[in-house]
Parts: sequence; C-alpha cells; structure tokens
Amino acid sequence: MTQATQETVPPAKKRGGGQRPTTPPIPPEFQAAGIMKLDSPELVQILKDPGATLFQRAKACMRLAQVGAQEAVPALAALLSDQRLADYARFGLAPIPDPSVDDALRGALKKVKGKLLAGVIDSIGQRKDAKAVDALAKLMYHADAEVAQAAVAAIGQISGPRSAEILLDGLKKTKGPLRAAAAAAGLVSAEGLMASGDRKQAFALYDVLSRMDIPRPVRLAAMHSTIAAETALGRPR
Amino acid sequence: MIERAEAVTRRQFARTAAQAGALAAAPMIVPSSVLGRRAGAVPPSDQILFGGIGIGNRGMSSVACILSYKDARFRAVADVRNERRELIKSTVDKRYQNSDCAMYSSHEELLAREDIDGVVIATGDRWHTPMSIIAAKAGKHIYCEKPCSMTIQESQALAEAVRRYGVVYQAGCQRRNGKNFVFAMELARGGKLGKLQTLHCNAGTGTTWPPITTHDWLPAEPEPAKEVVDWDRWLGPSPWRPYNPAYVQGRWRGYFDFHGGGILEWGSHTADLCQYANDADDTEPVEYEPKGENTTPYFIYCRYANGVKLVHRDSGWLGLGTCSVRFEGDNGWVETGDTGKIEVSENLKSELPPPEQGNAFNLTLHYHWRDFIECIKTRSRPRSHATAAANTHIGCHAAYIAYLLGRRLTWDPAKQEFVGDAEANRMRSRELRPPWRLV
Repeated sequence: MTQATQETVPPAKKRGGGQRPTTPPIPPEFQAAGIMKLDSPELVQILKDPGATLFQRAKACMRLAQVGAQEAVPALAALLSDQRLADYARFGLAPIPDPSVDDALRGALKKVKGKLLAGVIDSIGQRKDAKAVDALAKLMYHADAEVAQAAVAAIGQISGPRSAEILLDGLKKTKGPLRAAAAAAGLVSAEGLMASGDRKQAFALYDVLSRMDIPRPVRLAAMHSTIAAETALGRPR
Repeated sequence: MIERAEAVTRRQFARTAAQAGALAAAPMIVPSSVLGRRAGAVPPSDQILFGGIGIGNRGMSSVACILSYKDARFRAVADVRNERRELIKSTVDKRYQNSDCAMYSSHEELLAREDIDGVVIATGDRWHTPMSIIAAKAGKHIYCEKPCSMTIQESQALAEAVRRYGVVYQAGCQRRNGKNFVFAMELARGGKLGKLQTLHCNAGTGTTWPPITTHDWLPAEPEPAKEVVDWDRWLGPSPWRPYNPAYVQGRWRGYFDFHGGGILEWGSHTADLCQYANDADDTEPVEYEPKGENTTPYFIYCRYANGVKLVHRDSGWLGLGTCSVRFEGDNGWVETGDTGKIEVSENLKSELPPPEQGNAFNLTLHYHWRDFIECIKTRSRPRSHATAAANTHIGCHAAYIAYLLGRRLTWDPAKQEFVGDAEANRMRSRELRPPWRLV
C-alpha cells in the first residue's frame, strides 16, 4: 500500500453525516402506511375502484408484491397498459408464484406498445418464461429499439438451446447497438447453458462470441469464460 | 483476464508502416514528461483515466482523491443535473489548469469513450447496481459508492456482471482499508482473539435513518426543464412518482424506492468489516432474528454457518465514532470506529499500534483509492471486490427482510433463498423501470 504523504492525501473535508435536513411534510393523500397493511382482497378492490387515486393504486400494487396471489392477477394485469401504473403492476405481478402471471404477461405482448411493451418483456425475462421465447424472437426485430433490446436481453435470461439458436441467428442479422445487445445476451445465455450442463451448446456460443467482429468487452468475456470452463477442476473428464 | 493480440491484415500493416515512414522523415521532439523522465512524472500512457457519474457531495471525495494522484486523471462527468456537471467541471479544470473536463447529460456518452478506463459511480443508491452493470458491459473498471444494491437479486447480478466482464470493481466500503479497522480485522483473522464468538456491527444511531423505509410520496411540484434536471433519468430504474426538489437536493434517503434503510446504510460498512473479520467474503449469515421496533434501540441477531454470531445494533458502543465494530473471541476483544481510536481487552494492549497521524477518515478513503488503482494496474482483486460487496449486501438485505417481517429467518447461501418462507423470498427482488435492467 502506497505510504500517504502530504502531497498525495486530499485535504480534509467537512463531514455531513448523521443529520437529516428538513423535508416538506407528507400530505395525507400521499401517506401509504394504511394501504401497506391491507390484505389481498382489499387491495384488489382498490385497483378496481374507479375513484381510487393514482397513489392508492400504485401502493396497492406494491403491497400485492408481498401478499398477492392468483386472484390478484387479473386486476394487476389490467394495469399493464396504464402509462403511469404499468411498472407498479409489474412490481406486483412479478413475485406472484402462479403460472397465470406468465399467461398475463404473454397476453400483454400483443396489447401494449413502446416502453410498456419493453417493461412486459423485462418481466418475462425476469421470470424466465420459456414459453415466450418464440414470441420474443419476433420482437427482437421490432422497429422500436427499446423493445428490441428488451427482447434480446430476455431471450438471454431465459437461456436454453432455443435461446442460443435465436441469438446466434440474431448475430448474423443485426448490427450496431442491437447486435451488441445480442452479443451481451449471448453471454448470459451461455452461462445458463453451462449451469444446466449443456457444455457443448455453451462452448458453441462462446466460440461465436469470441470472434473479432464481436464488441471487445463481450469478446474478452467469452474467451475468458471458455478458458475458465475448460480448466475448471470440476469439469467433466 | 487473458488478452489476445488483435490480428492485423497485411493492408493495415502496410498502411501503418507508410505513415511511420513519413513521420520518420521529420525531426521528432518528445517531451521528457512523456517518457516519465522528469522526477516524479508519470507518462500519460501510464495514467488511468476516470469519468464520474452522478457526482454529488460524497462523490466529490473520490474525485478529490483522483485529482491528487499523478497516475490518474479525471476526464469527464455525467449528471442529470446541469449545476452538478458545471460544478465538477470547474473544480477539475481549475486543478488541471485547462478546460478539458467534458460534461455529459447522459452516462451513455461517457461510457462510449474509449479513452476512459474507469468510472466513479456516486449516484443515489437506486442506480448503483444497474449503472455498475452498464459500466461493466462497456469494459470499464468501477468504483461504486455503497450501498451497492437495493435487493438480494441486485447483489447477485452485480457480482455476476463483474465476474462475466472481468473488470476491476471496488465498492465504496473504504473502511476495509482503514488502518484502525484493518488492525481489528487482522486480530480476528490472525487468531489473536482466539476462536471468534460474536461480531458486532453498528446499525446506525437514533438520529440517522431508521431501519425501515417509507412508501410515502413528497408533495408534487412542477417538474423543471429537462436540461436543468432530467427527472425521468434521475428516477432511472425506480417507479415513477411526482417530482419534488427535495429528492434531487439529496433528501431521497428513507424512501423505499430510493433507499435500503438504515440497516443497508450502515451495514454496508460495518457488517462488511465483520464479514472480512470472519473470513466470510464468499458467504453470508444463515440465521437472522430481529428484536425491537422501528426505533432505537434495535437488534438483529445473526449466525454464520461456522457458528460465529453477528449482531446489528444501534446502541451500547464505546463512543469510538460512527461505523463502530466490535469483534469478540474467546481470547479477547477489539472495538474501533471512525475516530481511529482502538480499544482492546487487557491481554491485547501490547498489540496496539501507535495512533495514526492525520485525519483518519480522509486517509482511509485515500488508502481505498490507492488499492483500487493498483489493482487496475495489476488486474488483482481489490479489498472491496464485487463478490465481497455482494455477499455483505445479501446479508444486510436478509437482515432487513427479517426486521421488516418481524420474525426469525433462515437463509441458504448455496441456494440463495430463505428456507421455508415464501413471503421472505418474494422480497429478494423488485422490478425495474425500462430500459434499465440487471443483465
């Protein structure tokens, strides 16, 4: 460790830790404590109530992330097309361990657009819904760059042989930022294949990602991953 | 990381050789500073170039370190607030006596610069993991302020991305390199305390952020022009809420969308030191039991698989400063904090080092930054590397979840899930607002 000297140590600065500046009081309409104690049936009622405010529905979504179950899915899914509430709806849906969530997200792929579509795709990727991978393969070529990038990322997260096939095909057909995103997604997909024991497919993906026409950070990562996997003590012999 | 020499075509070689031939015809004057021949000079080719993203008051401490080093330069700043961009630029330009510091309203432009080797990420907490992943994907080395993550899943994604791209990552958990803390940790690791029994980490005091965050919103105010404050970018991965200047002025802590609460705020420093003392950088505690309401005092009793206990507590310290830690073994104990003072059991008093001269807090940050810079040069892992930071934060998030639920939880480090507690497992992650994601 370099010995500190007067020339190298920055001058002392006044510390401001430990004190909270004053903030404006929270208005009653923005106080969430009551909603955050409710159970699922009451929260679903709030979502369905046309008189509920944006704040109330947003917080109902967040509480449903903790306590929601299958019966909350329709009310949450109905908000996936709401400009302000779509992200809150995904927040509430994503942790619910019921296949109806995946059905709802897949169903929303054809109903929403733009950022909302990108968000739905992100949640599909989070849940690693393999049933969506062919729909995502089409969205990979969407005219909206945000949607296309979300699609490649989700395909990478889902991983598996079909994901690898789609990404390899995408690397031939795309260019620029989308191709860079496909390459990055390829790394994620390859890791998933390696973890599931499909070394052959993983190495095939790493081999393509190691080529000179791949962005440098991905290329180096692919080469490093190949060497690490080939030399790991726990590798199959 | 292994690098392969890039293939050069014959045409490229011929073109380069012709250019070199043309240059060779002209007299060449090379300043001695370029060759590092002036005493103390570092050739520009050996300088590590940094950019800063979201440099607020805390980030300025890191920028000040960079500005004081001969082997590093600060080249660019990206911030959603134009007043911060201009302040950082004027500070940097004044130091270097030029006008070279570039300003960007978006991080993308900064990260696209091939000359930038590394970045300082000093945004609000909500951005720490997504921005670190974006920087890793761009091949940049990363110094990121703590807390490093908002959830258990973010902690995992952070470690995966850094490992995947092979960049050097240093979390802003600078006390890992502070001399008094290093002394205490080495007493524990080296066996001088005997078999470790209990590690204590300061979980904050009653005057700072309580453990549990709020879901409230501040009153809505008109959004400023985008070129003044880009509110959408400021929110980043957090869900939309109406604008209020207090958030942007630094008063975002305490809100669920932006902050992990007091346990993360303090534990990212203090529990982190306990992790290292217990040689537990690759794991986290397996049991968490909270005691106390959302006020002071409160305790969270944790236990590692190796039997060592970890206690998050906000009271009962010896007054050695903020971020205190105490390590107890069956052969003695040590306690220290941000004042730099160290107290030990009677039998260990002969081990005490002489007091460090100078401001302990500033020196600690300087040592941490030197550690990071040397590791960039050598491609080693710095003291607060991504895996260590990730596991510290997973432990703190688990402690917070136990505290929030008000019940004992068991954590499986191998499976990265809570055992038999679906409600707790649902709290391991949260959705991000597009286009920000964790891959």
